[in-house]
Amino acid sequence: MTRAATAGTGAPRRGVPLIDGVAKVTGRATYTADLDHADALVGRIFRSPVSHGEIIQLDVASARALDGVFAVLTGEDCPHTYGVLPVAMNEFPLARGRVRYRGEPVAAVAAVDAATAQRALDLIEFEVRELPAYYTSTEARAAGAMLLHDNKPGNLEREVHHAFGDVTAGFARADLVREGCISCAEVNHAQIEPHAALAEYEPLTQRLTMQSVTQVAYYLHLMLARCLDIDASRIRVIKPFVGGGFGARVEVLNFEIITALLARAAAGKVMMQLTREENFLTHRARPQTDIRLKLGMCRDGRITACECEVTQRGGAYAGYGIVTILYAGALLQGIYDIPAIKYDGYRVYANLPPCGAMRGHGAVDTRHAFECLLDRMARELGLDPFVVRRANLLQAPTRTMNDLMVNSYGLPECLDAVEQASGWRERIGKLPPGKGLGMACSHYVSGAAKPIHWTGEPHAAVNLKLDFDGSITAFTGAADIGQGSSTMVAITVAETLGVALERVRVVAGDSAITPKDNGAYSSRITFMVGNAAIDAAKNLRKILIEAAARKLEAAPEDIECIGETFRVGSGGQAVLPFADVVQAALVDVGAIAVKGTFTCPPEAQGGRHRGGAVGSTMGFSYAAQVVEVSVEEATGAITVDKVWTALDCGHAINPLAVEGQIQGAVWMGLGQALSEETRYLDGLPAHASLLEYRVPTIVESPPIEVHIVESHDPHGPFGAKEASEGALAGFAPALVNAVSHAIGVDLDELPVTPDRVMEALVEHRRRARLGALRKVAS
Amino acid sequence: MTSPAPDFRLAQPRDVQAAVTLCSAQPSSRFLAGGTDLVVNLRHGIEKPALLIDLSAIEELRQLAVLERGITIGACTTIAALSDTAAIRHRYRAVAVAAAAIAGPGTRNLATVGGNLCLDTRCIYFNQSEWWRRSNGFCLKHRGEICHVAPQGQRCHAAFSGDLAPALMIFDAEVEIAGNAGRRWIPLADLYAEDGAAHLALSAEEMVVAVRLPPDPPPSNYAKARVRGAVDFPLAGVAVALAAESGQVVTLRVGLTGTNSRPFLLKGTEAFIGRPLDEAALQRLERLVQKQVRPMRTTLASAHYRRLAAAALARRLAGDLFSQSGAAS
Repeated sequence: MTRAATAGTGAPRRGVPLIDGVAKVTGRATYTADLDHADALVGRIFRSPVSHGEIIQLDVASARALDGVFAVLTGEDCPHTYGVLPVAMNEFPLARGRVRYRGEPVAAVAAVDAATAQRALDLIEFEVRELPAYYTSTEARAAGAMLLHDNKPGNLEREVHHAFGDVTAGFARADLVREGCISCAEVNHAQIEPHAALAEYEPLTQRLTMQSVTQVAYYLHLMLARCLDIDASRIRVIKPFVGGGFGARVEVLNFEIITALLARAAAGKVMMQLTREENFLTHRARPQTDIRLKLGMCRDGRITACECEVTQRGGAYAGYGIVTILYAGALLQGIYDIPAIKYDGYRVYANLPPCGAMRGHGAVDTRHAFECLLDRMARELGLDPFVVRRANLLQAPTRTMNDLMVNSYGLPECLDAVEQASGWRERIGKLPPGKGLGMACSHYVSGAAKPIHWTGEPHAAVNLKLDFDGSITAFTGAADIGQGSSTMVAITVAETLGVALERVRVVAGDSAITPKDNGAYSSRITFMVGNAAIDAAKNLRKILIEAAARKLEAAPEDIECIGETFRVGSGGQAVLPFADVVQAALVDVGAIAVKGTFTCPPEAQGGRHRGGAVGSTMGFSYAAQVVEVSVEEATGAITVDKVWTALDCGHAINPLAVEGQIQGAVWMGLGQALSEETRYLDGLPAHASLLEYRVPTIVESPPIEVHIVESHDPHGPFGAKEASEGALAGFAPALVNAVSHAIGVDLDELPVTPDRVMEALVEHRRRARLGALRKVAS
Repeated sequence: MTSPAPDFRLAQPRDVQAAVTLCSAQPSSRFLAGGTDLVVNLRHGIEKPALLIDLSAIEELRQLAVLERGITIGACTTIAALSDTAAIRHRYRAVAVAAAAIAGPGTRNLATVGGNLCLDTRCIYFNQSEWWRRSNGFCLKHRGEICHVAPQGQRCHAAFSGDLAPALMIFDAEVEIAGNAGRRWIPLADLYAEDGAAHLALSAEEMVVAVRLPPDPPPSNYAKARVRGAVDFPLAGVAVALAAESGQVVTLRVGLTGTNSRPFLLKGTEAFIGRPLDEAALQRLERLVQKQVRPMRTTLASAHYRRLAAAALARRLAGDLFSQSGAAS
């Protein structure tokens, strides 16, 4: 159920189905693996069987000699590193000299079919001298541990030490100071569409066409040029339909570059489709994280100081690591008014698949620890969880201590909405044994205000074409990965022009046709591309009004436009239909092309401290949620009975899509909270299937009641902010707080699987017995 | 993509005798029913049979007969059909509940009763890809020398994870076996051995043809511990049959799965007969289960949890059945 967003008139707006929705639900949408690859070679990857080792021998001669094999590549064939951060590219598409995790690509083949490719892989001779391997942050950081990367002492990719305000004074004036240690398991995106790429190399023109499951075609374009050492102008990157990203496909992935290298080596077309196990090996998701958090609080619930230490086990290569460890600290701010914050972050190398970005990038585990400890302290002070949150609200507009802009702030309304909807006041403390209510808040950025590759270009550009047929085509590089970004572009253009939605077509994600975009990450598209689309539509509208003015022999400022008709404002005169205005506009110039852009001003781009750009954004979304649970003490099984979520997305451009995104975020939080985790046995992924990696089934999926709060951001497109990440981080703490309410046990580890609940219960009872004995004794 | 399956020939015999004959003639062959277990293992490179003998065209195997003297279930009856059969749902509740708790709807439409009874044992070191197992030096169950779960031990500890077996065992179900030596009926419990690498007491060409449930069953139920409410195999599965009269237990049988290399009936339940199932008795039952189950590190959930959960489920099911019998008051 959704409390509908309201338009200016107060009438509820439902929104529209995604413009590509019918193609998807009828099976007509073409995903990468569906692309015609009848004449393509099959690409397969030979992966390291060991966690850490020096390559002694890699003999591919027999594989090359096999009939039906067109190319076999090794690290020798690509001397270039790749990566998402220009300052931290320490990974080769195919390992060179050393392997650092089990499953790391070592060699690749392109053959006529899958069976031949497999036979070729089996013929590869690989010999390594094994080196010590580390599977936990503690082992990797231990004195004397061998370095995974020689230039990274202590196996640390990055240490962050940020301090804002006087933490010591804050703790000194607190009535209650508490510390908690919370640990969150590594999770994976588990997007349903497995990774795939189709690369075609044309030897005569030396051009490469790449189709892949990417979220950021631009990064892929850059890395292909770098690793293949060819001019970027000879590369075309196309994004077909993509079945889910969640951060998995922001970074360029090794298999994408390998597919392109194979296509060039074979002088043809290569299709690479990864197995589910290989998807898990490719990883790039949320790291295992240990959080040590200390908070100071006054009797009225005011937070006086926050000290937080975060250790992330980042895997074998840098990837996005620096950004993740910075986000974990930066987003301690921007949600509550906290006068002093000290943050120490450690991003650690380990002999496991590299971690990366995942929905709620960097912020989720820290937020979990924070909201759990906040609740425990509230309980100790006899305060209601809502009261504690309300005691620490920000006032927008404001700037945080780490120089993040908060321009709109609907958290108070979110709190009100879920408190009322869940019947919190009437029900809290009155539920039967084994049942509990818990709540938490969260927030997220609407796009990183400072892009990773800072080029001086606008943050987003959208082109519009108006032609003789009266159709409007919007060209955008923004990657629709199921989140509905193409629909958002169509709506913003149509609403700005006042034309029917059906008049607008969106062409997205083809570097030969669409303008470059920074892609689908950090929830940037609605805010940035939406603003660029509105800007383009305004430019087109100006042209149409001028054309109507010429035709009606009036001044442009006198032209009034109602829907698709134009007339002179005073009325009574001739009315021009859209087709006539288009015809008038095309006289002498032909088809019209206009452009719109959006740029985040420098003051939005974060503080001057090292790493200060991470977390910077034009607008934060805010969310509050209440979770109701039942816990069966005998088996430790948790049932989520219901979730109430409110999200401040500024303005719901498409309420239907916003509701879906919020439910998706809550549901993904549910997975991380209840059952999802990766588990390695000596570096081998024991979880690498959808049987062992436990995304929730429909049985675990509770009713999610969504409330949309609209705070009308001053800079967002029509006042909109992001809607798909903000609600995720609040779920896990709300759940854990509800479990604590239900059975009186505080759980310090995610996910809260039945065995962990049982273990905590056994320990809790043991302590209770011990306590009782001591009482008797004394 | 999924890993390519190995090459094999497919035969589709019309009767049981033909299937057994085909199997005897080709040592590298496997019977194929729903394929939900076997095909996954084929793609993982665990088995490379030269011949697959598809049983779907054998009419006899799909018979489900509800008679005065009990119910006979053909081995190729699907799990979905089993859980939908009214007589099963009304009289052999544990069987219907266990069937409905297997995997998800798609799998239940394909998977069969015989397949679930003959399900291969499972282990986190075994149910992995060829690359995974080879990188780990394989294991005692397949191509390897040691059991990674208990490296000092002599046998494979992979756990039997079928849901139906314990639910059928508590009714003293029998299975009919067909082989070169003809046909025979044996107690279902005798089909299994406590060895993860050889848990079925069948010779190579033998197959399960049918299961027979005796008439007049006591009330029963089934429950399984798992992380998710669907899809997952049991970390521990418990079936209980309990009849009571005048506040005293008349029949108590407990079947267990997921904790050992075979499903088994709890020993010592006769001690509960002729007594009320009070708190002390329930605690004794819990201890009895804890003592007899042997969970090992074959799943990602801890062995300790599986032991505790098995006991807790047995207690809950028995307690509920006793209360429902009206005998408790």
